[in-house]
Amino acid sequence: MPNVNLSNHLIQTHLLISSWSYNRKKESLSPDLTVADGRLVTVPPPSSQLDTRDKLWRLHSALLQCRSLLERAITKEEEELGGAEKGDYQSQRKTVRDRLSLLLANTGELLKATDGTAVLTPSLEGLEIDGPTILFEVKLWIYRIFKELDYWTKTAITTLQGLPSVTAKERGRTTAVRRRRSTRR
Amino acid sequence: CIMCIYITLNYLFLTVCLCVHVFFFFSVPTVPQQVSLSPNLETQQLTLSWLGGESTTFDIMILRTELNETVFYETVSVTADKISGQHQWNWTSVEPLECTSLSVQIRSRDGQTTSDWSDTHILPGMDLPSNKDSQMFPQDRVVSVGTNTTFCCIVEEGLGFGSIRYRDLVMNVTRLSRRSYAMTQINQGPSGVTGTNVFCSSDEKTLLNGAVVFVGYPPLPSDLVCETHDLVSAVCQWNRGRDTHLYGKKRKTYYTLNGRYFTHTHTHTFMNQKWSACSLAQWDGNFTLVARNLLGQYSLTDSSELSLRVRPVAPANLTSVVRAWNATLLWQWKHRGYDSLALICQVELTSHWHTTTRTFSGVGLRSVIVLDLRPDEDYSIKVRCGVQQNFWNWGDWSGPLAFRTSIDIPDAPDVWMWIERDNTGRLMWKPLTHRESHGQITGYEVTLWSPDENIQHTETLPQSICTVPINLTHISTTGSSSNKVIATVIAKNAAGVSPPASIVMPLRWTDPPAVSRTAYMDGGFPLSWQSDANASCGYVVEWHDASCQQDCAVEWIKVAAENTNISAQSENFQPGVRYTLSLYSCSSEVPQLLQRWEGYMEELVPSSSVPHLSSNQQDSNIKLSWGEIPLVSRRGFLLGYHIYLNNGSQLMLLANVSDPTSRSYTVKGLPVGSYKFTVKAYTSAGEDTGATVSISLESYNNILFSIVARVKKAFYPDIPEPKLAGDWSRTQGPLDVKPSPHSMVHIVEEPEWDSSKEALVVIPEEDEDEDETGDEPVDTDEPTSLRYYNQVIDDRPIRPRFPDSSASSASSLDSARTDVTYTGIQTSGNSLGYRPQMQPGSLSQDMASFGGYQPQCSWHLDSPVEAEESGGLAPSLGSPTSVASTQFLLPDSGSKEQPEGKGQGSSSATTWFHNLLSSAKP
Repeated sequence: MPNVNLSNHLIQTHLLISSWSYNRKKESLSPDLTVADGRLVTVPPPSSQLDTRDKLWRLHSALLQCRSLLERAITKEEEELGGAEKGDYQSQRKTVRDRLSLLLANTGELLKATDGTAVLTPSLEGLEIDGPTILFEVKLWIYRIFKELDYWTKTAITTLQGLPSVTAKERGRTTAVRRRRSTRR
Repeated sequence: CIMCIYITLNYLFLTVCLCVHVFFFFSVPTVPQQVSLSPNLETQQLTLSWLGGESTTFDIMILRTELNETVFYETVSVTADKISGQHQWNWTSVEPLECTSLSVQIRSRDGQTTSDWSDTHILPGMDLPSNKDSQMFPQDRVVSVGTNTTFCCIVEEGLGFGSIRYRDLVMNVTRLSRRSYAMTQINQGPSGVTGTNVFCSSDEKTLLNGAVVFVGYPPLPSDLVCETHDLVSAVCQWNRGRDTHLYGKKRKTYYTLNGRYFTHTHTHTFMNQKWSACSLAQWDGNFTLVARNLLGQYSLTDSSELSLRVRPVAPANLTSVVRAWNATLLWQWKHRGYDSLALICQVELTSHWHTTTRTFSGVGLRSVIVLDLRPDEDYSIKVRCGVQQNFWNWGDWSGPLAFRTSIDIPDAPDVWMWIERDNTGRLMWKPLTHRESHGQITGYEVTLWSPDENIQHTETLPQSICTVPINLTHISTTGSSSNKVIATVIAKNAAGVSPPASIVMPLRWTDPPAVSRTAYMDGGFPLSWQSDANASCGYVVEWHDASCQQDCAVEWIKVAAENTNISAQSENFQPGVRYTLSLYSCSSEVPQLLQRWEGYMEELVPSSSVPHLSSNQQDSNIKLSWGEIPLVSRRGFLLGYHIYLNNGSQLMLLANVSDPTSRSYTVKGLPVGSYKFTVKAYTSAGEDTGATVSISLESYNNILFSIVARVKKAFYPDIPEPKLAGDWSRTQGPLDVKPSPHSMVHIVEEPEWDSSKEALVVIPEEDEDEDETGDEPVDTDEPTSLRYYNQVIDDRPIRPRFPDSSASSASSLDSARTDVTYTGIQTSGNSLGYRPQMQPGSLSQDMASFGGYQPQCSWHLDSPVEAEESGGLAPSLGSPTSVASTQFLLPDSGSKEQPEGKGQGSSSATTWFHNLLSSAKP
């Protein structure tokens, strides 16, 4: 049974959202300035025609890209902009990475649960994984990665909440297992 | 030139002259040729080179191409390169060269003569229409703190410019071209870790682009010191100095030591300074450190012989062999070279948060014996070493080693004794502290031995006991001819028994010597005495609460024989408690009580007032009497008593009775009237709250007269009842009369006697205040209302007024039991403050309520108990004896202020009269 704890995901989402706002504050980017969106994650467009598995795959793929981008961003940030003592930002960034990995594991388990087969790793081809070289653009790139994380964790909540049949099915399965266990006793 | 050639052909001589002349007056500098521009974008430097013939002076003009604004226009001197013949000149732009296109023209100058301008050469900017995107310059620039940097923003084609912000500060901008805008930040402060951001936004507040600038310092390390730990290699460390504010792999500081580049240095913080360290495999003797970053470099050197820089490593693998009073500490060295190294080592010993350091030395030192430990104690120990010769620095501390010492037999207990007046005694000893126990105490063994009889009695006691009662009377009556008994106490633990602690106890109480006083100071009672020749083993100073009667908490201290003064100190001393301190001599015999003191740690005001305060009229005087304040309530040495006249709102000091043993005071010379007196005892800390008593001072003639009237009433009760004159039928209730606050004494005039049944009766304060019980009324500063009741007097023929049974009355009754014995003196039945004056002809009713003074009845005082036990129903009197007007009269102390008589129910005049007499019992 995949451990899909929606409240936990809500906390994660909150953390992810606060990460980019923290990042924005840290870089003294004035709140009245608008930063144009720049999509970094590439997935098929959403459609009402997508079935549960496709929705999950789309989500999983996007989160996987997010993690790759985040890993690269952390490395790049450390190389180009790090070097001093680790502070709140670094620890929060690590927490975000850990929570994202957990979310990925959950969606992966759900994907497996929908058709019982192993999860195919979505291709990261075409993903601008290296990032820019100019430091202002690096910062903007990292900021956009956090924005993508925000978007996709929110999408994860919407998607997971829209899977009642899966969770109900899983719940039913769990109940049945429990019944069997209690019968054995 | 044409002219010159012409002249040459016709007039050869002149030709030359003219030609030269024309050349000097009409030659023009060469127009610079082959102008080229070479920009350095990083340094914002533009290198101009051209061919300019013989000229060495040139006018240079640089314009912003688009707006045709002059950026630079000056005359400069430039010499040609001797080989290439080229002129070269550098110009540094305030703005980055990418910001906008620049047009450059040069002309040669010769004094006031100039050549034509060269062709315009343009350095294209990044704001050309072909570059449509928004851009910002410079990017990722690293500059020193305090410098100025100019940034430009090229707005995306088709968008409007909004602002440039340095961090979040909107800056003033200069327009450089159609799409390019610039601003300058002067005197820049150091950046944060990720640099300082500059943002360019559109007129719709959309972020267009930005740049990061890193503002910092060049490195400035200090304090390079190299040393060796293993006697071979070098470890060098240095203070990194100020924060450069430059981070990231491109901007951080890199160090080389003797040319070796260190990618990673060991860094630590000490005294708020960051230190770095790195190692070299061999000791070079001379060391050079170079620190570099993008803003500059700094070098440090150090040089020394190896032998002068030996700092041993931390001792490793500490172990211990533990005993009760010492321990052997062993450790190992990592390096063999230490075997022959003369070392000096510090051992730091910590026990109960107390740390001591011991120093040891030796060649290749690797074990020490740590002495003077205490048994059954936890210790933490660590070691560090340095070299004995050419000491350079202490090495690092070893890791701590914890151990607990073994147990040992306990110390002998500190024993003392206590003899009561009834010849019972107690043997006491101080519980052994952890430091004295040397292991968990399992119990005590007490032995009593009578030396003459050689009888011994031993008792084993648990460790929780530290005092045992001893019946000395029993011992003395069991046939012992001795007047002493030797008591011995030993303490036991798992290691064995302590040495015995003995004391010789007397079998009888001895009277103490005279007591002197001692004043507490500097945290104790200072005591000094004459040296006593018998005090072979010193003295014992003992103290306890002086008011304690039984099982008193006794403390003592033993003093060496050579000392004749101490300060008796105890954390148990309390303010307001009298302590008795006794000095005993110590010898092989019974301790002798040599001297005794009393003292207070701090004197307080007495906690209770004088007990049994009473007042009696003697002739026209008033005698106040009181009892002794109990010792526990005195809380200081009593210095005397203050006698006050109390008018309810104010106290007027009448007298200061400075003899604390006094128990009475007579107030003289007061006019007839009602009075209240307050008596306050005082110590050095001040007065107590005071006890108050009231009295009505009668005219001496009235007293005599009333006595006659009472006797008459008692034996001839059928006097016709007087009639009411006027309307006295008002409702019963209080009439509040506020005394004048200005009058010190409120004297109530006696009204004319009215034959009405109603009479005004003063309500004593004690009756009004139900909370005020006991014999110590509390003074208040509030003016007291005198409250009168126009009550209807009981119309029974005789109504003696005795205290009732209420609590306040009981206390009044109690206070009436003064220790005053006057044989043949008549007491008054009631000393009420005031009552209406009686008409001579109709005394009957008032006799009942007054009862103030009676004739002396000395014969009846022989049976006071009987009178008291009869509850007022005393046996009938015989024939009254003479009632003389010269009779000595006293107010009845038993009634104090109580308006109602105890024997109110009695209707017998005889009984009442008898009661009055019996109340004057001794």
